[in-house]
Amino acid sequence: MPTQRFSGKTVLESARERMAFVFDACPEVIVSISGGKDSTVLAHIALTEARSRERRVGLFFLDEEVMYQSSVDQAECLMKLFPGVGKPMWLQVPFKLTNATSVTEGQLDCWEPGKHQVWMRPKRSDAVKAKPWDVNTETTRNRAKGFGFYDAIENLQRHHAGAAFLVGLRAAGESPNRWRAVTKYPIEFGGRRVYWGTRRESVATLYPIYDWNTHDVWRYIWDAKLPYSKVYDWQFRKGYPISAMRVSSLIHERAFKSICDLPEFEPKTYDRLLKRIKGIALAQEAGRSAKLFACRKLPKNFSSWITYREWLLRTHADRERVPIFEKRFARHLVNEFVARQQCRQLILNDYENNLTVDSSPDPREALIRYYDEVL
Amino acid sequence: MICLGLTDADKATRVRDYAVEHHIARVFVLGQPLALDLTVPVECVAWPDLIKYRFYYRLLQEVDGRTLLVVNECLRTQKRYDLTYNCIRAFLNQTSHQLVFQYLPLIDTAEDFAILFDFDSRSRWRREPLERLPLGEVMVERVDVAPNFVTVDVPTPEAAKASYAKCKRELINGIGLRDPHTIPRNLYLMGGVAKAACVDPAGHYVGRNRRMGLSSLCTFRESCGNSHVVFEFPHDFIVFSDHLARTRQRSIDVLVADLNVDRWYFHRFTDWSNRIRDAYATIQR
Repeated sequence: MPTQRFSGKTVLESARERMAFVFDACPEVIVSISGGKDSTVLAHIALTEARSRERRVGLFFLDEEVMYQSSVDQAECLMKLFPGVGKPMWLQVPFKLTNATSVTEGQLDCWEPGKHQVWMRPKRSDAVKAKPWDVNTETTRNRAKGFGFYDAIENLQRHHAGAAFLVGLRAAGESPNRWRAVTKYPIEFGGRRVYWGTRRESVATLYPIYDWNTHDVWRYIWDAKLPYSKVYDWQFRKGYPISAMRVSSLIHERAFKSICDLPEFEPKTYDRLLKRIKGIALAQEAGRSAKLFACRKLPKNFSSWITYREWLLRTHADRERVPIFEKRFARHLVNEFVARQQCRQLILNDYENNLTVDSSPDPREALIRYYDEVL
Repeated sequence: MICLGLTDADKATRVRDYAVEHHIARVFVLGQPLALDLTVPVECVAWPDLIKYRFYYRLLQEVDGRTLLVVNECLRTQKRYDLTYNCIRAFLNQTSHQLVFQYLPLIDTAEDFAILFDFDSRSRWRREPLERLPLGEVMVERVDVAPNFVTVDVPTPEAAKASYAKCKRELINGIGLRDPHTIPRNLYLMGGVAKAACVDPAGHYVGRNRRMGLSSLCTFRESCGNSHVVFEFPHDFIVFSDHLARTRQRSIDVLVADLNVDRWYFHRFTDWSNRIRDAYATIQR
């Protein structure tokens, strides 16, 4: 695995060099934007480079429907930032999104045809409303789950074969696993070996700001006087630690906690979300509850996490998913530490295994063993 | 400015000098009350009151550029983003005059010093770990008050040792989902009878509670003034830290029964004392 060394260059200089290299190597460049801080920075660097070359750059935004209004506003703002340079690709096509807040409505059909009365907001006039790729050759990762978020991205990428897709993914300052995942398998791109990208078939996805940390991103936003999502300001005022200040989806397994503060940040968005999908009111009340979604405290009716897990499996509302959980849990260690994580998966109906279970020995048992030895 | 290990009299002197030098119009003491003899109004707001609306909003209105905030012994929890700390930060943002007093630089680990650093640096670095803090940015005055522990061996009868072994087995087997720290906490009480036999009725001892019914033994909450022999350590460092701040003891005799748990607690607190010394070294770099 590549190690990190000081090169004498700032991360901004390196990112600009990478951007110039991508533009040299590829006739079509598309930046994925989400409305977050990282993609804002990446889009600005790409737009600046494109303008200096009198070229255009695609700004791809996959509209998830259930998003912060501030993220939508930010995406709109980025599309208008360099008129004539940015080529808007605002995709509002139907796809499925995991909903961790409800076991009875485990998936949201974003932009579901015929349900425009309940959509979070109407579709935009300038958006791409029909799938631009050939529907007959469309691929789906998991047919049982249906056409999902990543399927939409993959099909669009295939539709633009040969283009370079830029993503504002950062590996520095995040988990070592993220760093390893990004840098472990270098790809050949533009006649060079590139450690900041991945390739699927003929499509290269590149991460030009992979070595930036959070502070670098905020510094760039400040220096370039860039607009950014208002949600960050609200989160800052609320005292969120810097690592928790994220503007991602509102309903998937890792992000549903953001619903707790949504009525405070964006009351209108929360109001529309309540009408749009099940489980929102409960997630807002109990998203951080130790006994419910966070699964940190054992409900008093149970003597152990293992018995709680068995009860959850027995009474799970989504019976079709139970065999998936049972098969997965059979491969795990049997201890309280693991059982607690399994309970969390069951409560969030995480049949996709997005919140992976750390199947390792119980640290509590290790502490008891330690006391047994030393005392 | 952060002042470590000062007496109340020294603190009062620092506050008086500062108030005169900077033409302070009002003083608020946050945390532990401090007797101050000043010509300007002084108000003490105790630690539990800091988060209450009736104090919080009033202080936000009343603290201004001519107010001195004395943050006195406010290192109460290791959670850097605790609500009370955040309230103190909000008060400190209203003025540029503050004095931070604390007896020891930490509760458990050197990282705790970052909380004091935040108080004195407008919390500009509050999301950074201690190793990345620009420590030169704040002035630190310190008196080295790290404690030294001296063992006083207590002979322990074989019957007590046998009873200890039995109790340990029962505790470990029956721990269930309870906190594993219950094991040393409860086992440590086993040596009490043996230690009680060694207690000098004319001496001053400090322990967890008054279960032995000894007139010369007080609890950690009650200790003050005198030099105390430690009958038994508390489990939480902050309890002992408060005891030290009240008694200002440096050299401390500790009764250690011939049981593993007694030796374990003694080493645990000796390590803690070493961490305090290491913290002093870190602060000075």
